[in-house]
Amino acid sequence: MKTPTRLTYNNHGYCLDRLVAKPFYLRSLRSLRFIMNLTAKIAESAKDFRPVHSLIWYCCAGLLAGTVHAAPVNATAPKLVSVVRVNATDQGWDYFHPWTKHAPYSHRGLGTVLANGEVLVTAELVQDANYVELERAESGDRVPATVDVIDYEADLALLKPADPAFLKGITPLQLTDAGVGDHLSVWQLESTGALLITDALLTTVAVGKYPADDVALLCYSLTTSLQYRDDSFVLPMVKDGKLAGLMLRYDTRTQDADAIPAAVIRHFLADAAGSTYNGFPKAGLLFAPTRDPQLRTYAKIPPGTTGGVYVTHVEQGSPGQAAGIQEGDVLTGIAGKKIDQDGNYIDARYGKLSLVNLISLQKSGAKVPFDLLRDGRPMTLDVAVQHRQADSYVIPPYVMNKAPDYYVLGGLVLQELSRDYLKEWGADWAKKAPERLVYYDQYQSDLFHGEVKHLVILSQVMPTADSIGYEDLGALVVTKINDIPLKSFADVTKALAHPINGFHKIEFDENPNVIYLDAAQVSAHEDDMQQTYGLPAVSRTSEQ
Amino acid sequence: MRFSIRRVSLLFLLLASPLALGEEVVHPTPPSAASTPSIPVPSIHRSLARITTTSQDPNYREPWSAGPIEEAVGTGFIIDGQRIVTNAHVVSNSRFVTVEKEDDPHKYTATVQFIAHDCDLAVLKVNEPGFFDNTTPLELGGIPEIESTVSAYGYPVGGDRMSVTEGIVSRIDFQTYTHSLVDSHLAIQISAAINPGNSGGPVLQHGKVVGVAFQGYSGDVAQNVGYMIPVPVIERFLKDISTGHYDGYMDLSIATFPLQNPAMRNALGLADNDRGVMVSKVAAEGCSDGVLKEGDVLLTIDGHSIASDGFTVLDGSRVEMAEVVERKFKGDDVKLHIIRDHKEMDVTVKLDAAWPYLMQANTYDVSPRYILYGGLLFQPLSRNFLESYDIDDLQVRYFYDFFLQDDLYKDHPEIIVLSAVLPDPINTYLGDYRNGIVDEINGEKVRTLDDLANGLRKQSDQYVIKLLGVGRPIVLDRAAVESARQRIDQRYNVVKEQNLRD
Repeated sequence: MKTPTRLTYNNHGYCLDRLVAKPFYLRSLRSLRFIMNLTAKIAESAKDFRPVHSLIWYCCAGLLAGTVHAAPVNATAPKLVSVVRVNATDQGWDYFHPWTKHAPYSHRGLGTVLANGEVLVTAELVQDANYVELERAESGDRVPATVDVIDYEADLALLKPADPAFLKGITPLQLTDAGVGDHLSVWQLESTGALLITDALLTTVAVGKYPADDVALLCYSLTTSLQYRDDSFVLPMVKDGKLAGLMLRYDTRTQDADAIPAAVIRHFLADAAGSTYNGFPKAGLLFAPTRDPQLRTYAKIPPGTTGGVYVTHVEQGSPGQAAGIQEGDVLTGIAGKKIDQDGNYIDARYGKLSLVNLISLQKSGAKVPFDLLRDGRPMTLDVAVQHRQADSYVIPPYVMNKAPDYYVLGGLVLQELSRDYLKEWGADWAKKAPERLVYYDQYQSDLFHGEVKHLVILSQVMPTADSIGYEDLGALVVTKINDIPLKSFADVTKALAHPINGFHKIEFDENPNVIYLDAAQVSAHEDDMQQTYGLPAVSRTSEQ
Repeated sequence: MRFSIRRVSLLFLLLASPLALGEEVVHPTPPSAASTPSIPVPSIHRSLARITTTSQDPNYREPWSAGPIEEAVGTGFIIDGQRIVTNAHVVSNSRFVTVEKEDDPHKYTATVQFIAHDCDLAVLKVNEPGFFDNTTPLELGGIPEIESTVSAYGYPVGGDRMSVTEGIVSRIDFQTYTHSLVDSHLAIQISAAINPGNSGGPVLQHGKVVGVAFQGYSGDVAQNVGYMIPVPVIERFLKDISTGHYDGYMDLSIATFPLQNPAMRNALGLADNDRGVMVSKVAAEGCSDGVLKEGDVLLTIDGHSIASDGFTVLDGSRVEMAEVVERKFKGDDVKLHIIRDHKEMDVTVKLDAAWPYLMQANTYDVSPRYILYGGLLFQPLSRNFLESYDIDDLQVRYFYDFFLQDDLYKDHPEIIVLSAVLPDPINTYLGDYRNGIVDEINGEKVRTLDDLANGLRKQSDQYVIKLLGVGRPIVLDRAAVESARQRIDQRYNVVKEQNLRD
């Protein structure tokens, strides 16, 4: 008979007797299958904002590599770990059927307890959350929690327990910065609640891509060999007992990890402590490197002057535009730091970094001096860098926690165009979604100049007696209803109140240009249509 | 998936050749009265031609180089005037054409006299005398009835001599002619097996031509589905070329929307009679511009009533209303009875062909146009170009797909794409700008390839090329380009730096 093994960590970091316990093994296997389907998505995670990727682990018995610190257990008075388990059930809206949501899914991560009495997780864990729960590691006690502040761009969220006393006794973590060459500890929890620590080597600090589209912020890249444990969707990375970063993504094949650095978390927390959450600022500028000597001559950069980037675009209504920056200016410095010809500056702590870091970690609204050359002459302009709200885009890159507005008019489904709608076509949406709408989304800053706030689309037609002959219409931008121009979805209900000679005249920006519905018939058939198609409501319009 | 019979015939031709080489010469035994049956010689032999074409496709990736050479076999038939009718795709991009008769060992050289890429027909002239001796020209019949029997004659895969297959008429419908991929005309679907090599061959009923076999579906996709070009299309082609010049098909250059929704009919003041379609677009470069307007309801075309689904009745059959225009020629009139702003009126459109849709057509017998400057290759966007490059760029795809629909041709009659950068020190920082669309050169708008050529011809120390939607201009120092010219030409085997003509 086998004697039970002492509950210690061996060199491989798991309990020996656990390997024999069948339920655990089976669980890993299921995860393995799940992993196989999702490892491809890790590569796509940078493009696909839908949080289907997660930090995936596999349990390769006998093949584990990497160094793990053995953390001896104090059997008498174990110190309470500074993390709690977070169980989140998320349910996103189905933009193809904007009256319903997709099936809910649950995932679990580790939340870091902070000094402000709140718990830090990534935004992806609690995006579209229906229900969030915190669970104490050592006791299993649970309490519901709310999402207090969430930033989709920085991928961070703060959770507040319903019972403020829930976190009592847990020492919160402070923040600390780390640098290239540092070893960080990745924290995971055993099923007993004991801490599992794995070493991670910080190899790179650079401005990198975050899961949300078009977001680049300071990012840590690490190499580490992690084992599978439950709740590993979000993991804290610790240095000298302080929080240095939060795991952003992990690839089991390459063993590469990315993490949100403390500097970004610090900015998020400082912002969250204020009365309103602003976000990470931008200047609204695009740049190109100036290595090409022919470009340097054209831009009139004086010979002998090195560095500088060429301003290729100034977004309309942006802080850069307000400050007077123009296309063709050569940016040579930001906040007193010199910019080289590739767009990098020398950071005191991290060395060469993209100039984006000089802007994004400013406080939203801060005035930052931009040194530039215009026609070869130096000047300085102060730019009040600001976060750009997702809603300010004509086609918003994401919609935060807002049920989509829609109107099913006699079978015609009207809704507002956002990238979330385009992403319903899946990971390959850029190729699969209607090309015209994808083009509008990518080139919106060139195509729209303030004439509309958002675009209303006829997304599809549900066959009814009123929509006979219109069944094949879909993915059309609606420009006017009843001769009233639509500047956003809010105008739809207003326009429908004024049928012309008893008809709703619906105009598009392409074929067939105009169609008509009988206003009285559409109203009369509304209840029937709602019943036939099982719509909870014929429309949803949020108060503006 | 449709295929062009000619292209696949090449594959089968290659497969067929080893068999041909293996044929042995049979020494004839002395004939005895009843023992040796003779091979029958049908009279149709005297009307057929076996056409062998050597063609050369253009090279869009290296437009200064000649393209690959291919050989293919198709069929043709003899008509009056010592002419051979065949498909355009049998003789497209041809460099050398020979024709043979079944009982004649001589290979005759031939030339393409007229070729119509918009309806896949061509007429050949034979260069040497003697071909038409002992031949019988075929006559054209009419449109055969559904379910009646037809026979297809030609030189498909499976042997070297003429073959016959028989089937029935399955369907008569508008189909896309895959040769150009932008043209649709009447086509007759038959169940007779039509295979690579049959292209250009006649399909007969009661001894008269009722169609030219031209395209079909491969057996993996559909069975017994072959198509023939019907007599109205053949007749129109022969009439068009009788002037000595092929003008091609005309169209109204409008888009219409069916008026089947009752509320829409009420709103437009139409009776509940399933008649009329609405004009949803009038192309600016088309012949209806200035005559028809968006919102017009079309009720009759040349006196024929238009149904609410866009169909009309011609010669007792229900056909798409475009068929009326199909039978007309350049300069002909089309009379339309319309409703505009609730008032009935008559308008007349003088027919012409709109050019912008050709950008999206397969084109043949053309040389790629391009400019190579400083190692940067500029070419106009077209279907042929896009197929060679397989460009993924969203902006290029949008400009191609919506060229007509969004009137992009107005500002950009030609979409000039920076298609390649031949790496050299003078352009080493410009690789990222591949697939950009040229907007301006030195402040002047570039609307065609000629505009770009003119811009580069003007003396200037620098050429500043702005691409659409790209803030960073491409700057080329003239002196640097001149000094690099020979180096680039030699390294990349460039024999000609630009071609501005088709």
